[in-house]
Amino acid sequence: MSDNALWIILQRLRKPIIVIIVTYAISILGMVLIDGMDDQGNVYHLTFFDAFYFISYTASTIGFGETPYTFTYEQRLWVLICIYLTVIGWFYGIGALVSIISDKTLKSELMKSQFRKRVKMLKSDFIIILGYNHVHSQVIRKLVNVGLNVVLIDNSEENIHGFLLEDFSKSVPVMVGNALLTETLEDAGIHQTNCKAIVAHFFEEEKNLRIAILTKFLNPNVTMITKATWKDTINSLLDTDIAKVENPFEIFAKRIDIALTSPHILILENWIYKNADLADEASFLPQGKYIICGYGRLGKAIQEKFDKHGIEYVIIDEHLMGTREMIENKTFIRANADDKEILLQAGIERAVGLVAGTQNDIDNISILLTAKKLNPNIYVIARENTMKEVSIFEATKSDWLFIIERILINKTALQLAHPLKHAFLKKTLYQDEAWGRALVNFLKSQLGDNPKLMKLSIDEESAYALYHEIERGELVNIDVLLRSLEDWNNNHKAIALLLKRNGKEVLLPQNEVLQLNDEILFACDEESAEEIELIASNMYELHYVCSGKEKQNWLLGKLFRG
Amino acid sequence: MNLQKVISGFFFILAMTLNFGFFYGDMDNVELHSSYELFAALVISLIATALKIGDKTQIGSVLLASSLVADIQLIAAVLVWTVVEYTSTFTPSHMATIISLSGGAFLANLTSVILYIGETLKSKR
Repeated sequence: MSDNALWIILQRLRKPIIVIIVTYAISILGMVLIDGMDDQGNVYHLTFFDAFYFISYTASTIGFGETPYTFTYEQRLWVLICIYLTVIGWFYGIGALVSIISDKTLKSELMKSQFRKRVKMLKSDFIIILGYNHVHSQVIRKLVNVGLNVVLIDNSEENIHGFLLEDFSKSVPVMVGNALLTETLEDAGIHQTNCKAIVAHFFEEEKNLRIAILTKFLNPNVTMITKATWKDTINSLLDTDIAKVENPFEIFAKRIDIALTSPHILILENWIYKNADLADEASFLPQGKYIICGYGRLGKAIQEKFDKHGIEYVIIDEHLMGTREMIENKTFIRANADDKEILLQAGIERAVGLVAGTQNDIDNISILLTAKKLNPNIYVIARENTMKEVSIFEATKSDWLFIIERILINKTALQLAHPLKHAFLKKTLYQDEAWGRALVNFLKSQLGDNPKLMKLSIDEESAYALYHEIERGELVNIDVLLRSLEDWNNNHKAIALLLKRNGKEVLLPQNEVLQLNDEILFACDEESAEEIELIASNMYELHYVCSGKEKQNWLLGKLFRG
Repeated sequence: MNLQKVISGFFFILAMTLNFGFFYGDMDNVELHSSYELFAALVISLIATALKIGDKTQIGSVLLASSLVADIQLIAAVLVWTVVEYTSTFTPSHMATIISLSGGAFLANLTSVILYIGETLKSKR
């Protein structure tokens, strides 16, 4: 049965109901059987109705008095017994009811059934989020802001209560449940066709893997977005074919890689994430010797990038051992990096950069401060694991701060809320500096420092005119969308950044003939965003930019000709 | 032997037998039908209902349904009796109504007892 809550109440109420029935029956029967006396002194018996009436108001402690005639002492003796019997019966029943209502199992069942109902009622696409933590709190906020439906499950009741205090929690169905169980995922609507993605960022990565496998078997059309940093887990996750794995350390290292060779690409990235605008100055990471503190997953990822670019470095770690080769080459020191002597030994005075990348946030701050003292000109890249100490990190004035949680938040939210932007960003990251510089300069000169990003899908809803034009077999070039509505020979201020068609992406499309269900990402300003929308949805405007002529309304045309 | 089974079986069958006891006799003869017996039949029927509540099985829901039918029929009979007694004169036709209502309740009780026996026979324990 679906409604467990009702059954729990009924089962628990069975005993109190029987107790009340029995006490009533005994009392009523006694009242009927015992002799009474009417006002003329004749013997009479209460009828069943009289007795039931009397017991009803006595048991509920209302007490209207003795009816229909004053009772005899025998009757009063019995009434005394009845009062205690029935009142206790009622108290017991009410007590049982109250304890059921405040029962935890019942509460969680009620929450579950409400959750199931709300999930079933979701008509548009939705995303399942497993676990409520800082990352997911921000992700949910961003997704809700763009109008996506979100469903949340967390293991702990406390976390759920914390979530319910948030201002955006009203529209989100929530449930306390164990995300690692099939049943919970089914409750969350994983079987529904409008379930598009499932998000899990558990610290224990095997949990993420387990959920990915469950999801694959429950509904292979759902995309799983998760985090993994260990190679084995990443590979297993990728083997499920449905998982998109975020490895924050790899993202971190990749940024350093890009910053060494093509800083303009990073400017584009920051602009897409809305962290900064295009006016930022692009600066290469300084060339020279680097000190890397921490040789964990992050340290290794950065080492790989430095090796690739042939940059000199020294790694310091207290717990994890470098290879023999590294020790012989003096590129590894086994010691606590937060030690003046060790930093001096590593050559901090002539180093150009330092990566404070240990697992411990306080260690990182401490390393950063020491390093700045020893060499005030050093370029410091700091790692911050959680967002709890953001203000302190900002106060230390590191040159470049990587917040692991923020990386995850940005990446997850962008993938889910703006898949087209994410696709563009992914392509961009593999371009070179010349390409990046050209695009940034072009965007800046055409659209200013902070152009807007806009998406257009060629479907009936958002591009009515264009959709029908293409459906009729007309060839419409992508340039048509960029022509000015004032003069079709000129272009308005917009640039097509990406064209997505059947899962294939074209960067900076030009001279592409549009097809149905294409998705296009534009960079534009407010005004040209409106123009693009008008051209796409209004057949008169579309006709004008295609041909340079006004489309004739057939009725008016006839009238004028006539 | 299961004590719970004994108790619930006892009440189910008692509800039926009391019901039959009240029902048995000339339709329109008030003398042949004791109000005490109707009272007992109703009380036991209510208890039997309470015992059937909360059973989530298929047979459990049918048992509960039949018991609810019996309750409603008996309560209707009691109401008719009370209303007639206090508001108008008691005629044999009123008695016939009461008895036929209790006859319906008897059928419902019979159904539930048969189902109960069937379930018990099917049980392997």
